[in-house]
Amino acid sequence: MKKLLVLLVLLSLVLGSAFAQGTAETATVSYPTGPVSVIVPYSAGGGTDLVARALVDAAKGSFPKNISVENRTGGGGAVGMSYGANAKPDGSVITMITVELVTLPHTGTGAGLYYDQFKPIMMVNSAYSAVTVQANSPYNTLKEFLDAAKTKTMRVGNSGVGAIWHLAAAGLGKAANVTFNHIPFDGAAPAITSLLGGHIDAITVSYSEVASQVAAGNMKVLAVLAPERIAATPNIPTAKELGYDVAIGTWRGLGVPKDTPQPIVDKITSIFTEAAKAESFVKFMNGSNNIIDILDSAAYGKKLAADNELFKALITELGLKQQ
Amino acid sequence: MLLEVLNSVFSFQILLFIVLGVFTGICIGALPGLTATMGVALVLPLTFGMEAIPGILLLIGVYVGAIYGGSISAILLRTPGTPAAAATVLDGFEFSKRGESGRALGISTVSSFIGGVVSVLALWLISPQLAKLALRFSAPEFFLLAVFGLSIIASISGNSLAKGVLCGALGITLSFIGIDSITGYPRFTFNNINLLSGMSFIPVMIGLFAMSQAFTTVEKIFTPDQVTQKISKVWPTRSDWKVILKHAPISGVIGTIIGIVPGAGAEIGAFVSYGQAKRMSKHPERFGTGIPEGIAAPEAGNNGVTGGALIPMLTMGVPGDAVAAILIGALTVQGLQPGPLLFTEHTTLVYSIFLGMFVANIAMLLLGLSSLKLFVKVLSVPKAILTPMIFVLCVVGSYAINTNFFDVGVMLFFGILGYFMQKADVSVSPAVLGLILGPMAESNFRRALLMSEGSYTIFIASPIAWVFLFLTLLTLLGPLVGDALKKKKSTM
Repeated sequence: MKKLLVLLVLLSLVLGSAFAQGTAETATVSYPTGPVSVIVPYSAGGGTDLVARALVDAAKGSFPKNISVENRTGGGGAVGMSYGANAKPDGSVITMITVELVTLPHTGTGAGLYYDQFKPIMMVNSAYSAVTVQANSPYNTLKEFLDAAKTKTMRVGNSGVGAIWHLAAAGLGKAANVTFNHIPFDGAAPAITSLLGGHIDAITVSYSEVASQVAAGNMKVLAVLAPERIAATPNIPTAKELGYDVAIGTWRGLGVPKDTPQPIVDKITSIFTEAAKAESFVKFMNGSNNIIDILDSAAYGKKLAADNELFKALITELGLKQQ
Repeated sequence: MLLEVLNSVFSFQILLFIVLGVFTGICIGALPGLTATMGVALVLPLTFGMEAIPGILLLIGVYVGAIYGGSISAILLRTPGTPAAAATVLDGFEFSKRGESGRALGISTVSSFIGGVVSVLALWLISPQLAKLALRFSAPEFFLLAVFGLSIIASISGNSLAKGVLCGALGITLSFIGIDSITGYPRFTFNNINLLSGMSFIPVMIGLFAMSQAFTTVEKIFTPDQVTQKISKVWPTRSDWKVILKHAPISGVIGTIIGIVPGAGAEIGAFVSYGQAKRMSKHPERFGTGIPEGIAAPEAGNNGVTGGALIPMLTMGVPGDAVAAILIGALTVQGLQPGPLLFTEHTTLVYSIFLGMFVANIAMLLLGLSSLKLFVKVLSVPKAILTPMIFVLCVVGSYAINTNFFDVGVMLFFGILGYFMQKADVSVSPAVLGLILGPMAESNFRRALLMSEGSYTIFIASPIAWVFLFLTLLTLLGPLVGDALKKKKSTM
């Protein structure tokens, strides 16, 4: 047992070095005064977690008393975000907020969560839905696919009921006036596998999630549901230019409890704005197919409000609200 | 190319990383609450600054080590260190009760090694062919696989099948808690935010196995142990070898296949292997009383999953289990896109992974065999000291999984429940199996019907579906038919 304890201590030392301390920095406001934790509402090793850890790693020099990532999972993100929203408003707890902040309250599973509980710091990245079919599918354009959907029930896979890619498919169906047979999976990966095996007709997950299959010639993207074409794929049209006015995607950003004093908010904003420009972070994001999409606090606040309305309307219309 | 691969794996630095990874993995696996998935996720940030090959091999080392490490605490303390070792408790802890924990650990180490090697060979030699199998699985096949898995309840129910079935039903019922995966409706959550994502599996498992055992130990905490642990032999005897060589390779193959199927992980591989070994056995009634095949089968089965899970990942960019999903993240961070092109564009890397994984299994065997005597000493710690330590480990382990105190409450509740189940001579394993397979069965049953728009013929539409239907019927009716035949013979 003693041996085990010694091992445990050694292990924690090894693992602890991942969150190594940075050097001190003179600050205009007295922040940070203690250790800071960044709450990730999803599990370690997932997409949101990796982005958070890369960003925190780039910012750690500004946190002499240590900054660490804490995964608080559960409720599709509601548990971690509620924890972050109700933390002490002194900047000691920063939360990685995601699009679920403006979808969960409307599906009725947000457990009291609402976007105005947060003061937005900045949006870090975004990913839009890509309408993807098998490479040997008879449909080569979005129009062909949607026209066919009028007579045939298309099975469209998503990453979970009420999740962002389900809403994306539903939003597309609404714009094109067709009804899909939505098949929910437990995350994006099983939906991709199912399309690869030919068990469903299409998926509406993000472009980065299907990029490797597209490169290998197994799948083709008919359109992206983005406001404008994605820089990495200038040849893929947006649904908007094809006449279907729908742009739905996910985003990740940072937020602090709404009562956090403005000087601290400004300080956190400047630290992470710098961190998002760091070479290591940019390299990580490019390498992992994540699109950096920075919005400042004000613009991010507006996006939160706009998306909140968008998803509220969509979820109500789809009848996804639970009692 | 061969030279390149040999060079890239057999350098001091890489071998060191593999050994370090396996060692870390064994420790993580042996500690309840720290799973293989978590271990790999925790080590992942360390690889950000490393080259691709050492980084990925470090993670694979942790994976291989952790799946094996779970059996150590399962055998010694009735505490499966990871869910993958839940099936090992059944026979493993019986060995420790008899004072033969050294023998049990030896069997577990050698079997894990064999299972791991079988899966690496499959990964190495026939992964492109096997990868296609993963794509054949859709919702109906997953459902029938889960049903087949649940039929194993018949094998792990202990003395009473009725108690086992009830207990399995309890596990499945518990899995209903949380947001329904098909309609999004919150079920049995009582407006408690902590229940939205369902019962956390690890705290339930720690409670049912470890905490309940610790409670039982408290009853006799000041009576000195009657049993002294024979630790001299960790290398299996000739008769044990016979059993290992009979069961471990088959279980390794079963584990590999389970590993290839996306969404079915090491815990399912272990249970299916255990059920299979019992079915093959000439004396199935002795399973659960501490026989070598009861350790060899699940341990080879869960380590068989390690190689299998990498097959769809390396060939198609599709994760075979939760750990493979993190490994995909690790490769992506290195600027490598796991997917169909990985094999052709990064051949050296792929073959280095094969060879590195083989080395990791050897490291696991050597580290395991050389440190077992140390591990066994845990049992010579007086119960009055060991038991409180187990309490602490149970609490820390259940908290660590989601950093949520609610889970500690869950663990305590199931600890108390498990204690009374032990008193009533009810095996807790069916509940754990029900909790693992319940969600898989339910969501895939409903997903299949969504896909077929309500037609039940989807469940008999593919050859794989027929195979699982047949296997399930064989498991359930086999003993009945066998008994009937015996009866007929004796009356004739």
